[in-house]
Amino acid sequence: MKRIVLDLLKYNSEFRLGVFLISIVVVMAGLSFFSPYPPNDVYVVAPDVPPSFANWLGTTSRGQDVFWQLTIAIRNTLGFGLLVALLSRVISITIGLLSGYLGGWVDRLLMAVNDTFIVIPLFPILILFYFVLRDSMSTVLLAVIMSSLGWAYDSRLIRSVAMSLKTREFTGTSVFSGMTTFEIISREHLPYVLPIIFSTTLNNMNWSIGLEVTLAVLGFMDINTPTIGGMIYWANQHTAIVAGVWWWIIFPVLLVVATFVGLYLIAVSINEYIDPRSRLARMGGGHS
Amino acid sequence: MKDGPILRVENLKAHFKTNYFGVHREVPAVDDISFDIGRNEIFGLAGESSSGKTTLMKTIAGLIAPPLELIGGHAQFSFMPVQTNLYKADPALLAKIRWRKLSYIMQGSMNVLNPLRKIRAIFSDFAAIHMPGPKDEFEEKVTSHLARLRLEPTVLDAYPHELSGGMRQRVTIALATICKPDFIIADEPTTALDVIVQKEVLGMIRSVQREMGSSVLFVTHDMGVHASLTDRLGILYAGCLVETGRTKDVFDKPMHPYTRHLIHSLPRIGDTIQRTSLTGTPPNLANPPSGCRFHPRCPIATSICSVEKPILRQFSDGRRVACHAVTGDPA
Repeated sequence: MKRIVLDLLKYNSEFRLGVFLISIVVVMAGLSFFSPYPPNDVYVVAPDVPPSFANWLGTTSRGQDVFWQLTIAIRNTLGFGLLVALLSRVISITIGLLSGYLGGWVDRLLMAVNDTFIVIPLFPILILFYFVLRDSMSTVLLAVIMSSLGWAYDSRLIRSVAMSLKTREFTGTSVFSGMTTFEIISREHLPYVLPIIFSTTLNNMNWSIGLEVTLAVLGFMDINTPTIGGMIYWANQHTAIVAGVWWWIIFPVLLVVATFVGLYLIAVSINEYIDPRSRLARMGGGHS
Repeated sequence: MKDGPILRVENLKAHFKTNYFGVHREVPAVDDISFDIGRNEIFGLAGESSSGKTTLMKTIAGLIAPPLELIGGHAQFSFMPVQTNLYKADPALLAKIRWRKLSYIMQGSMNVLNPLRKIRAIFSDFAAIHMPGPKDEFEEKVTSHLARLRLEPTVLDAYPHELSGGMRQRVTIALATICKPDFIIADEPTTALDVIVQKEVLGMIRSVQREMGSSVLFVTHDMGVHASLTDRLGILYAGCLVETGRTKDVFDKPMHPYTRHLIHSLPRIGDTIQRTSLTGTPPNLANPPSGCRFHPRCPIATSICSVEKPILRQFSDGRRVACHAVTGDPA
């Protein structure tokens, strides 16, 4: 594993850039633990101060330091993305592997549910959830809702791999030698899908962070938990761009873009590790 | 019970059945097959591609999954309780028997090894549950068993792709024989190997079998392998058994016209005669010929052959042949 990461760092510039961007984001999130200001307090510094040595990224119209506000915001946003990815992975791995391996009516039933989740229009549903839950809506609750909506594509992908694994001789021999379904799925099949799971996890984080930012910017979220979307929401509320307080909106946007690009680049370069043929394609080899 | 056959297959019938969009298809891939396999015996099963060899093996092993369906007959192993059909046995009993008493080297056995698991892990996946006892003891047994197949203990820490084809083959055989099963089904275990490695692997199968006193059902289309390895031979044509007998007898005096052709097609050293091939192709099993399934290609077919299906008749020396034209023992 260590060698793979080192090799990717050495030979793959996309991976290098991705790791660099994500490191910045993670360091920012880590700094939140050293923040001198409680994240929800307002008017702790002079409002509307442009970036300076005292306030690196300036201050907001609500009297918050943009830099320290940003550290806690990106921490919450990243945590949200990780939580969604983790929960939805559990669902998609279980359903994908079971459905692909068992086949028959189990497969038909699970895939009927799966396809329903694929065609459901997500955005209106999430807004609906907000209007129903209102004040009880929190970041964690939204993460649970989104992970129960966002597993379907990946479980279909995992299912397709499991279906092909099912026909391999080693699966037949495993059955014949008396391994249980759970043992076959967890010991023989899971290692096969792990690289795919890793790559889709990053994409799933991107997807969930994107939706969270969208919802928060529009105010369909718990606006008192500082997140990237929440920061942009408050900046819009105070018409930051019109008022000339550009630093309030530019820095959160830059940071979240760095997160997106970083995660995307890592996912793409890991794909290259998963699929050796794409290495040939980059070298100009393979069938032309 | 001790001296009876270890496996008795009686009137076994298994068909592939599909019924989709109003089209009903039924392929009789295993059609009324009966034979016995004795203790400590290597029984060879020969036949061309698509003659139903693998399907027969799967049916005997009880690996019946749709669209394959058991139509009738049964395969009775002597280590099963009497009157307990393999197909109706409950999963707990099956789990107890499989691998410990009955093991199966699958076709394409190079792929039996999961490429993402080390050999050690594969051994513990497949065999550890059948060999209760402390872990060191199991490890020791595996190592000594590998040594029997002339494999270094270091292969345990290798991934399958780090081994050569012959080594992988030997690991597969080691896996199937580690529990000292009474019966081993081997479905073309050496087909992917070159002749030199093949010879070595066959010798090992033979010596392991002799040492453990197991019976082997050995399937391959390679007549040369049958000649060198098996004690008795069965010839399969289009899902039917057409001839069985001691391997030496079958090779010396083939009785069924198909067997005769199969054996005469083998080249001999110093032979300069042009080999003729059988006209036509094996029948499509979805629509098999009436009567004897071999009659459209048979050089000695008579009018009865296209009407009546010949039964497998007993001749001397345990020889059984299904042909209308064969009336007496070979001269």
